Amino acid sequence: MSDGKVALSGVRVIEISALSGAVCGRALADLGAEVIKLEPEGGEPARRDLPLIPIEGGEESASWIVFNLGKSSVTADLATDAGLAVFEALARTADIVVTDFQRMSLEEMDRLAAIARAANPAVVWAEILPFGRGHAYDHTPATDTTLQALGGHLYQNGDVDRPPVRIGVPVGLIQAGAEASNAALMAYYHALRTGEGQRVDVSVQECVIWTLLNTTMAWQILQLNELRGGAIRKERANQFFTRLVWPCKDGFVVFGPVGGGGGSARIKSYDALLKWMAEDGITDDILTSRDWNGDGQFFISQEDYDTVTDVIKRFIETKTLEELTTRAVAERILLAPINSLGDILVNPQHAARDYFQVLEDPLRKLSVKLPTNWARMSETPLRAPRPAPKAGAHTATYAINAQQTESAK
Amino acid sequence: MSKGIFDGLKVCDFMWAAAGPITTKQLSDNGATVVKVESFKHPDSIRLGGPFIDNKPGINRSGFFADFHSSKLGMAVDMSHEDRLDIIRPLVEWADIVADSFRPGTMQKWGLGYEDLKKINPRIIVLSSSLHGATGPWSRHPGYGAQGAALAGIQHMTGWSDRPPATPKGAYSDSVSPRYSLTALMAALIHRERTGEGQFVELAQIEATVQLVAPQLLDLQVTGHEAQRSGNRKDGAIQHGVYRCTGDERWIVIECETEIQWRALRETLGAPERLDTARTIGPDSLDEAIAALTAPQDAFELSERLRAAGVPAAVAYKGSDLLEDPILEARDHFWPLHHEEMGTLKYNGPAYRFEKTPTVLRSASPRLGEHTEHVMTDLLGFSEADIAGFRDRGLLG
Repeated sequence: MSDGKVALSGVRVIEISALSGAVCGRALADLGAEVIKLEPEGGEPARRDLPLIPIEGGEESASWIVFNLGKSSVTADLATDAGLAVFEALARTADIVVTDFQRMSLEEMDRLAAIARAANPAVVWAEILPFGRGHAYDHTPATDTTLQALGGHLYQNGDVDRPPVRIGVPVGLIQAGAEASNAALMAYYHALRTGEGQRVDVSVQECVIWTLLNTTMAWQILQLNELRGGAIRKERANQFFTRLVWPCKDGFVVFGPVGGGGGSARIKSYDALLKWMAEDGITDDILTSRDWNGDGQFFISQEDYDTVTDVIKRFIETKTLEELTTRAVAERILLAPINSLGDILVNPQHAARDYFQVLEDPLRKLSVKLPTNWARMSETPLRAPRPAPKAGAHTATYAINAQQTESAK
Repeated sequence: MSKGIFDGLKVCDFMWAAAGPITTKQLSDNGATVVKVESFKHPDSIRLGGPFIDNKPGINRSGFFADFHSSKLGMAVDMSHEDRLDIIRPLVEWADIVADSFRPGTMQKWGLGYEDLKKINPRIIVLSSSLHGATGPWSRHPGYGAQGAALAGIQHMTGWSDRPPATPKGAYSDSVSPRYSLTALMAALIHRERTGEGQFVELAQIEATVQLVAPQLLDLQVTGHEAQRSGNRKDGAIQHGVYRCTGDERWIVIECETEIQWRALRETLGAPERLDTARTIGPDSLDEAIAALTAPQDAFELSERLRAAGVPAAVAYKGSDLLEDPILEARDHFWPLHHEEMGTLKYNGPAYRFEKTPTVLRSASPRLGEHTEHVMTDLLGFSEADIAGFRDRGLLG
């Protein structure tokens, strides 16, 4: 990471957002864009999103801080002519405007888009909406969980004896923000080459669909609606239940020793597992009674699968997370610990790659490490983390900036 | 028809499995010429992942593979052959972008590391995506998206508090990381457009996925509070749950964040006092009361009534529901594409829509080596005699 040459040098982004638009703006800021948040007086509502953390002088949203690093903040009341003039002046000089449905209604977006695009035909207008734009569902109320449901993901998660269960963080909204960052840059690439701006809309529902991977094909080809699973599920259109989460001495690991695809990596992994089990004196005949990962791996009977995995499960239960992880990495066994959040902070792989970077935020009195180095670019590294702005911290700067632009004309 | 954003962009695509091909699909569906290079001795592993047409495994029969390879050309080469660069070098010279998602070290072993590629084509942009990243002690540790999600904290945040963590559907890190890898790739392309300079872009799929729990990592460091999975509960919501309705595995999500929504919910469900009482007792009691009221109802009808009253609600869609969803239909999400062995299947289109440069899924996924000759002659300019020579030497599939 550096503060030197950056990929999006000179690219100006206006962001009017809640969560997903901020995720988009954050990715662009990391890549070197100048991202200016437009907030109401006192700051945007997302500054109060849960979880709140104590900062100097009060509390602020952890989510808001994380997804607003390295941006500027201008306050303006977009319900007034003066506020709209501030927006117009900024939009005139912007390359990308990004917004999302949690912050603004479609009507408000349309009003601002018309102003921005009249002032600046080359501008990219990027908007994140629950279902995309332009149909009878434009005004249907939506949240992250309802969109996890309508994208088909919720139905497939959780133990079969309880209701389907969500992923407990707003994955749909965050992924839609990340998707908007690439979609906005695609449109900007086009504008850069042709001078033509345009609108691009991102659907959270469709972003969730893209997390399913084979669900819509499984229905078309096999008329199969995969039943949900938790620790155990019918994976990848398998006809039998496989265990994915395995208890060990002090936690859980994810492991797929036998059955249901995986190619040569799974074959080698199984061989390495058998070698380790043999060292411990476990050489049950069932382990080698058939080629578990070869021909017929998709058509193992449930009884056979349960029998072989019972032997493997009892072996894994005798090991600690550290023993399993160390051996897995050394011998290429397809196994990974289920990390807690604390585990992620001390993961040696992250440390070796400088994935976490220290954020020094003197105004909030924060000194923390954050997962900001999400891509390595040889010529234009990502920016090191810089604090999220106080509301309106840059209002004066950009007012002067706008005056200079006007007088230069 | 207006041209796609990447019309004229050329991509030499060694991506395989899911995360990589989903990334390059965004290029091909937007007009780039994407040549998927497969080793015919070791084809893309997800060609071996179901669902298979007629439930019979086969190299050109996987719907899992197909969905990530619309609009791409397929070329089959023996990448273990010592003369592989006779074919790959001209392809790299031709390309703007080289992309791979192999276990780190594979491209270097073939003489195709970034330094090698830059010598062949100084303006090249190289995108390399792997589970753990190209460096570090775990870089060569194999794994799939389920392992990636586990390491990234997704299982930790999914499931019931009194049960083991749940593995969410899909190879979850495979679906998060393409969004970030494409963003970085776009930035590199924009930089090259402005300066002429290519570069090496490297991503770890797990690192992209950890972005989803970044707020919880900050919270943990500042407050010492470690967020945990909690079923369908959501902090700050008045009510937030998933409830059974009539029919086979029919479930509805209902969520109230505000008192206005709460009032609308209690009226719509038709038992305001009972729900008020349950709310006073606590969330378990409230879930129970709501579940009793939803149980005899049709999930779709109830969802419509709740939405009309302003309450966020949704049916937990099955795969079959997606293919019949009026929203997706109105948005032309699915693209019927014909494949010689698989027939016509509906492929998933992107999550974004460009107003002026529409995305077009131009063709079904390539059969293994389907376009080898086309790429060799029309794109790289080899003669029929050259190709026959390569075949004699066992280089081409």
